[in-house]
Amino acid sequence: MSSDGRAENRFSDFIDKLSLKIGSIVSYIWLVLLCVIVTNVILRYVFSEGRIELEELQWHLYSIGFLFGLSFALTTDSHIRVDILHEKFSPELRAWIELYGILLFLMPFCALIVMFGLPFVMSSYEVGEVSASPGGLPLRWLIKASLPVAFLLLAVTAVARLLRTWSFLFNNARINK
Amino acid sequence: RPINHNKEPAAASTNSSSDQITRINWRVPAVFQKTMPVIGENPVFLAESLRSASNGAIHLEIFDPGEIVPAFSITDAVRDKKVVAGYTWLGYDQGKIAASPLIAAVPFGMEPWEYSAWWFNGGGKEITESLYKKYGIHPIYCGMTGPETAGWFRERIKSLDDVKGLKIRFAGLGGQIIERLGASVTMLPGGEIFQALEKGAIDATEFALPIVDQALGFSDVAKYNYYPGWHQPFTSSHLVINLDTWKSLTRSDKAIIEMGCTAAVTRNLAHAEAVQGEIIANFDQIGVSAERLPLNLLKELKKVASQVIEEEAQRDADFAAVLASQKKFLSNYKHWKSLAYLPRNFDEL
Amino acid sequence: MGANEALAVLMFLSFILLVFTGYPVAWILGGLAVMFTAFAIILEVDFDLSIGVDWFFTSLSVDRIWGVMENWVMVALPMFVLMGLLLDRSGIANQLMIGFSKLFGRVNGGLAIAVTIIGLLLAATTGIIGASVVLLALLGLPPMLEKGYDTRLATGTVCAVGTLGILIPPSIMLVLMADRMSMSVGDLFLGAVFPGAILGSLYILYIWFFGLISPEKAPAAMEENFEWDILLELFRAIIPPAFLILAVLGSIFFGVATPTEAAGMGAAGALILAISRGKLNLGVFKEVLQETTKTTAFIFAILVGATAFSLVLRGLGGDELIERVLLGLPFPPTGIIVCILLATFLLGFFLDWIELTLIVLPLVSPVVASLGFDPIWFTVLFAVCLQTSFLTPPVGFAIFYLKGAAPKGIDVATIYQGVWPFIILQLIGMAVIFNFDSTVTWLPSRAYD
Ligand code: NA
Ligand code: NA
Repeated sequence: MSSDGRAENRFSDFIDKLSLKIGSIVSYIWLVLLCVIVTNVILRYVFSEGRIELEELQWHLYSIGFLFGLSFALTTDSHIRVDILHEKFSPELRAWIELYGILLFLMPFCALIVMFGLPFVMSSYEVGEVSASPGGLPLRWLIKASLPVAFLLLAVTAVARLLRTWSFLFNNARINK
Repeated sequence: RPINHNKEPAAASTNSSSDQITRINWRVPAVFQKTMPVIGENPVFLAESLRSASNGAIHLEIFDPGEIVPAFSITDAVRDKKVVAGYTWLGYDQGKIAASPLIAAVPFGMEPWEYSAWWFNGGGKEITESLYKKYGIHPIYCGMTGPETAGWFRERIKSLDDVKGLKIRFAGLGGQIIERLGASVTMLPGGEIFQALEKGAIDATEFALPIVDQALGFSDVAKYNYYPGWHQPFTSSHLVINLDTWKSLTRSDKAIIEMGCTAAVTRNLAHAEAVQGEIIANFDQIGVSAERLPLNLLKELKKVASQVIEEEAQRDADFAAVLASQKKFLSNYKHWKSLAYLPRNFDEL
Repeated sequence: MGANEALAVLMFLSFILLVFTGYPVAWILGGLAVMFTAFAIILEVDFDLSIGVDWFFTSLSVDRIWGVMENWVMVALPMFVLMGLLLDRSGIANQLMIGFSKLFGRVNGGLAIAVTIIGLLLAATTGIIGASVVLLALLGLPPMLEKGYDTRLATGTVCAVGTLGILIPPSIMLVLMADRMSMSVGDLFLGAVFPGAILGSLYILYIWFFGLISPEKAPAAMEENFEWDILLELFRAIIPPAFLILAVLGSIFFGVATPTEAAGMGAAGALILAISRGKLNLGVFKEVLQETTKTTAFIFAILVGATAFSLVLRGLGGDELIERVLLGLPFPPTGIIVCILLATFLLGFFLDWIELTLIVLPLVSPVVASLGFDPIWFTVLFAVCLQTSFLTPPVGFAIFYLKGAAPKGIDVATIYQGVWPFIILQLIGMAVIFNFDSTVTWLPSRAYD
């Protein structure tokens, strides 16, 4: 039995591995962001040239980073909890909280963002939205699409977590770790 | 069963003491804070006059930007019926609706009453309505201010060379134009401008009317305030309403809202014109020098402006159509304008 | 109270209670938004009550998250986190902090004082609460714990000093407040300088006093007497990283660079420093990048959840309820100000500063003006009040951010205990500012003349 009241599960293993893989790839975005900022600074202060596209690229990168980080942080259990009572609860109770938390809070929230995020992206695509700034980036639907996609990934990761919790609560095959 | 947006939420009934049933109860996100002089006060004036004219039957609750909808998402939210109406400066939608700057502010474009003439009598209203129909929105001309200031500069601008390499915050078509003259243009959001300007991360900024800009503190940190407002000789605001909702209104409600907006245009312009002079008169005391941009720089800006506008027209058919409508109107109007008015500098002659 | 306002109150209460289940705060916020929208629709459809919240309205959450994505200012946050992690994992931060504290020689609590001073400098630059708390936790917490500091003192210091960042100018919070109040940002910045300094001094005095009373819980950095060659040696060790940090902070402060640029350059500098000292291999670097992702993600998860939560709360008429209660108070002017501040403080338990600034400030500003108080004085008090509320259990955003960035094994309960003394200091500071309004109004009155 793992300490957070979850049990092994093949599907969940697969999803977790996938999520960790995506998380580790997405993490390189901070290195890219760093390079973009440095380039921008050099252009601005050495060549006194301001590049809107580079400034916009910065928040494109940062928002991709934090959005795809959401599921990575879920898999690694990094989201913030008020653990003042939580750490005193039994593993069973914690598993029940996890189960209801995912079903009643996390999943509905993901559903809201994915369901309404899709038309949000579609309408941007239909009008061919581009940046409103002179020299800004085109294809705004693409960056907008990272919102529903990231929340879909978050939902899938949540399902994996749910299944583990389910196995822990209702299957006899609890695995000691 | 779908939710009726026109139904009265309980919260609002507490404010309304009248016996009359509220027929229209809309949340209306506005693009400028209610506390901003002139431009922020106008939607509040609109809501109050609609309310008293309809004896409480038409209730618009004005929300500050970001309170429920981010400022730049107002038209999207109205199109998708997340809110049924919003009060906005359409130029912020440049990235989605390329023609929108022509409706909101045109560099070297019309003057306030010219715009009104084009809108009400020169086909402007019709062409704008048909343009926004595609986006499921009914726009009503609902606010107008005269020229904005051409910006706040930390250093004096003597010639074209002073614009080259200038780090400046500038929105809309004006930004595109000044970029062609070699300035490095960024579009910082309103709340960040002061800090960037104070610390010298930017050398200059444009934002709004002198009274608004001074309230934001720009006059404390940038001592050269330039005119004329070449980039925005008029600044019009619109009440945007979801098209389905608009169609579902009774004729009388439509008429009241249209009257309210027409009144708001008049009062907004009057207010804007009335209060700027005093602000500028006071500049001496706070060490701000209000100056006009050099004439040759203005000429250069105008040349580039028409290039940029022609290029936009070639890129986008709607832009071309609205531009053609404005040009057609102006081709007749110019005869009147050039003859009827005293020269601008007549008093000094 | 209408059905919608009853729902608003219920929504507040649910949040407070549910937080103690230990389920992640972010998802409770987001989930409650969805759940209460469903309740509103049920009441509207099945009971024919008019509530005014439906799926269309709640779907504005999407546009609001897009507003967070588009926010250029926030780009600085992951870069500050990356810089902090690089300095921490390469051991440079530890060396720097210990070295810096040796300047305080045999003064007990010297390290905590060093953290406070670095935090004040940091405060002067970011103004993004998550960023300053996390960066300070990464730089300051491990060395304090290693030196045998009391965990409560260490976490309390980091938490309190970290929140001071939103008060000491330049601060994004003050920019937004000035915007709301239509006042000059410059005046507000200047108004906040002395109050920030007062609070910082109170912290330092407290730590020094703590060290006098319980030296074993805040040990001095050096046993031996002060000698000049120690100082020289120290300078050699701490100058490069200290120079880096000061360069970053200074470039923002003196306006050479925007916060984003400075944060990015700071992270680049930290990377070069770590590599040049041979303290960074590929494995550590990958780990640092992944930690940056997790830390950034948990901060933004809360922002994203809170934006949905406050949208629905506002739709239910939560604002109007607050307004009615505040304006209906049967008190003299000073009493009303105290009540407004108290309400702000309580609301700070469960709302983000952005929400509070948006909801409460425009609502109370006409009241304050009509009572004849100086708006800058009030806004600064309001800001201090908000800052305090981020520190206050059970729901304090600074506490959550610290918990996320602290070494494993530090629980929220310890942090709760750690922040209490600082909350008392905050109250003392507020009392001073309240009674001596010149602490706020003097500097703006002298400036820009
Ligand atoms: Na700050
Ligand atoms: Na709190």
